[in-house]
Amino acid sequence: MKHWRYATALLLAVTLGVTGCGRDEGDSGSGGQPAGKEIAAGKATGEITVWAMGAEGEKLTQLADDFTRDNPEAKVTVTSFPFDAAHDKIATAIAGQQTPDVSMIGTTWMGEFAKTGAFDPTPSGLFDQSRFFAGAWDTTVVDGTSYGVPWYVETRLIYHRGDLAARAGAQKPTSWQGLTDFATAMKEKGGAKWGIYLQPGGTGSWQTFMPFAWQAGAEIMRDGEFTLDTPEMQKALEYYASFFEQGLASAQLAPEAVGSSFIKGEVGAFVSGPWHMGILREEGGAALEGKWDVAQMPRETAGTSFIGGSDLVVFKDTRNRDTAWKFVQFLTTPAAQQKLYDLVGSLPAVQETWQSGALADDRFLRAFGEQLKDAKSAPAIATWEQIADVIDAGVERVVRGVSDPASVAKDMQAKASSIGTGS
Amino acid sequence: MTTSGLASAPPAESRPARRRRAMGGAPEDRGQLWVYAVLAAGLVILVGPFVWMVLGSFKTNAEARQVPPTWLPESPTTENYRQLFTQLDFPQFFFNSTVVAVAITVGNLVFCSMLGYALAKLRFPGKRLVFALVLGMLMVPSMVTFVPLFMLVSQLGMVNSYAGLILPWLAQPLGVFLMRQFILGLPDDLIHAARVDGAGEFRIFARVILPLCGPALATLGILQFLATWNNFLWPLVVAQSEDRYTLPVALALYAIGENNTRYGLLMAGAVVTVLPILLIFVLLQRHFVRGIATTGLK
Amino acid sequence: MSSATARRPRTRGHRAARTTIARREHVAGWGFAFPFLLLFVVFMAGPVLASFAMSFTDLRSADLRDPFGVNPVGLDNYVRLFGDDTFRQAALNTAYFVLVGVPLTMVLGLAAAVGLDAGITRFRTFFRVGYYLPVVTSIVAIAVVWRFVLEPDSGIVNTLLGYVGIEGPSWLTNTTTAMPALIVMTAWRNLGYLMVIFLAGLQAIPRDLYEAAAMDGSGAWSRFRHVTLPLMRPTLLFGGVITGIGYLQFFEEPFVMTKGGPLDTTLSMAFYTYKQFGFGNYSYAAAVSYVLFIAIVVLTLVQFRLLRSKT
Repeated sequence: MKHWRYATALLLAVTLGVTGCGRDEGDSGSGGQPAGKEIAAGKATGEITVWAMGAEGEKLTQLADDFTRDNPEAKVTVTSFPFDAAHDKIATAIAGQQTPDVSMIGTTWMGEFAKTGAFDPTPSGLFDQSRFFAGAWDTTVVDGTSYGVPWYVETRLIYHRGDLAARAGAQKPTSWQGLTDFATAMKEKGGAKWGIYLQPGGTGSWQTFMPFAWQAGAEIMRDGEFTLDTPEMQKALEYYASFFEQGLASAQLAPEAVGSSFIKGEVGAFVSGPWHMGILREEGGAALEGKWDVAQMPRETAGTSFIGGSDLVVFKDTRNRDTAWKFVQFLTTPAAQQKLYDLVGSLPAVQETWQSGALADDRFLRAFGEQLKDAKSAPAIATWEQIADVIDAGVERVVRGVSDPASVAKDMQAKASSIGTGS
Repeated sequence: MTTSGLASAPPAESRPARRRRAMGGAPEDRGQLWVYAVLAAGLVILVGPFVWMVLGSFKTNAEARQVPPTWLPESPTTENYRQLFTQLDFPQFFFNSTVVAVAITVGNLVFCSMLGYALAKLRFPGKRLVFALVLGMLMVPSMVTFVPLFMLVSQLGMVNSYAGLILPWLAQPLGVFLMRQFILGLPDDLIHAARVDGAGEFRIFARVILPLCGPALATLGILQFLATWNNFLWPLVVAQSEDRYTLPVALALYAIGENNTRYGLLMAGAVVTVLPILLIFVLLQRHFVRGIATTGLK
Repeated sequence: MSSATARRPRTRGHRAARTTIARREHVAGWGFAFPFLLLFVVFMAGPVLASFAMSFTDLRSADLRDPFGVNPVGLDNYVRLFGDDTFRQAALNTAYFVLVGVPLTMVLGLAAAVGLDAGITRFRTFFRVGYYLPVVTSIVAIAVVWRFVLEPDSGIVNTLLGYVGIEGPSWLTNTTTAMPALIVMTAWRNLGYLMVIFLAGLQAIPRDLYEAAAMDGSGAWSRFRHVTLPLMRPTLLFGGVITGIGYLQFFEEPFVMTKGGPLDTTLSMAFYTYKQFGFGNYSYAAAVSYVLFIAIVVLTLVQFRLLRSKT
């Protein structure tokens, strides 16, 4: 009943244009809150609902079972959905005030959602920040306050066909020039149609492009201002576009076709995250085994890559704050992190998990672990998705040669500045 | 593009005898052959992708992506369907689609026929305004109402509920238009006679008018069911978790997944989404055609 | 549509209606109208007005917890729109889609209708069902299938082109072919609908007109031009308006197939509205949608003028 009355009032008010009240500044968590208050000691009790996406979501129940075994009085309900639906769903849940107790949140969405004031600040004393990869912990911090903990991480490496590289006599690239030479050799001597695949635009291209920008010394923001038109950024755009100009990369290949083109040997190398190990093993089968390898990001002034993954947050509207945080704490214990890796192959955000087992032995995984030490994430700002769209569009323009890097950089900066940071 | 056949064509499909054709002789027959050939080519283009879809759903993943593609599945498999119904929650999506489509269809049949009757046969102040309002709404793009409607449903706490999926679509202007047009054609005397007999207004509507509206109700029901079943944007935003997805939403979410390469599975999902509508359409296609013709022309 | 109102049957014998009956009718009329109107006002008319009001504020998704705390900004959103390159591009794309797509669909639909009406005597229902099939199919399923049909390597289109020695492009990722591919797909999907409408129109044309024309010695084409087309004008008008209104709002096709790319070449106005909604810019999204609304009204009026004026 209350809902109905409220909604009718809302409709009337909006309809009549009673809108001139002005919003209170800084009411939505933008002021930098202190850390949340501590949680009670002892076993967890009562019910919580947890949302998770993708493969992690499908297997989370098994981890939840471990948790409830230790805490028999607690009950965890897991809801999972595909990753592509996640952003809008969480946004609408926050808008409709129908949030779960705990949710997995993509690292790049933290700024946007934290600004709505829907997240509970991380309780003080519950987590030791130094146990996590630094780049991962940074994704939880919005305006100086941490809202959650990293759960799993991913970073990007250069996958390549070792067999074609050997045929071409090419070494693993370590510098920008090296990467260009490598792609050229793959194409000219290795027999690949395309030396390398770099995402040519479209949603998420920035994740492939930004590592190169960071390598050139560019940043998305400095001191609260966008810095998308710096000489470093232009240099990175130029470098990225050079692969397409020289015919080493294709602007027409769709992202979902990369795996199969690589398996066929048409694409010599591509930049991607750990999930492609599974795809290559599954789809490439025995024929591809031993024919591919990964390389660290090349160094220009730095050898930085992108760090992604997901954080775990507790919502402010939770009715069972203690149990919610205890569950999050449980998921970041080395044992649970190890188990998550075993179940779905997600890379642990907790560094000590990497010191034993497959994560320490497998050379591919070690390469990811190594790269994670030098990896950055997107700034935690409310308008990030929109800024990302601007960068995606900019990347597409230089790649397709419709604009030169200098004017694209200027244009990205202008657009980003007019969008602002949302605070 | 057509031939000399124009002049002698029957005015309606039901025309039984085509004797004149028989006398038409060779040139006309040759003309007809051409038309058949062109129409058949068109048919291949229009139906081909569906055949491709059905064939693809029985291919293994590797075969579905083979270059050059195979036409018939080399080693037909029902694995895709098995996965659809065991690993993914397609029975649930199917159920959701059915609940939502049936509820919205029934709602429109009830509410649109009531208003349609009032607009066609009753005199009341503000009637013209109501009719103009409802008709005018036909031109409003769905995007205009999208954001406020979403906010409203959020505030009502109906996000991720059947209520949120159904309630906003229970009363659609097109149905009013269709029912009004049909009821206008019924004789007024029926109503007067019933009034003289002392029947109440609702009784007149329910017992005298509605039983005569069979064809219009059938048409509206089919069109509404179809539109709702295929509706995509609203359920995409309102259904938050798998237990509320409708078929198109589930299909779209799996189809646009970035790393999704399970082609055979997607084809099978498309088949399951399309099949119920296809069956309904083929069985009731006469009503469809009549419905389109009446909404369109009268 | 309006002709129906004019033909409204009146029974003059009951004109001298007593006031009691009139009152009873008033009450009954509103009684029957009420349930529909209640839902209609809350879920359609209300949101239409709310959206209008919203477009003059700075409402964002972060304000949803406090929707009244927004500021009025006058025409800012609309002014910003016209300086927004991406919006201009979306508007141009939409115009391109409508201007090419509507005539194409109409020509194909009319051709199919004429073929079915006059060209053949058997298998009519069969053809009609087949041609109508894409219309009843979920756009998502169609998009999924067409993505495979248009696949550069393993799709049927390029495979068939390969048989005649043409190397087909990567349809959906090429800036010159993406939009035409979507237009063709949309025409493919909707021509069956127009075919059915046109078929009904054709069947209403009196046959003796054709016979008279045939006796005057006009050929098939001339009969089509001088008899069929003029008499079909209202039907064509209706088909054009309905298709135009639908095409102006095209959204699902790019949403599922191209995400508006490459280089925003398939970004439509409706898609842009949705994108702004996704970014949380609710008031800006509302402004975009109102521009689309105005475009629909204008297009409808223009088509009425164009096709009506000659009769």
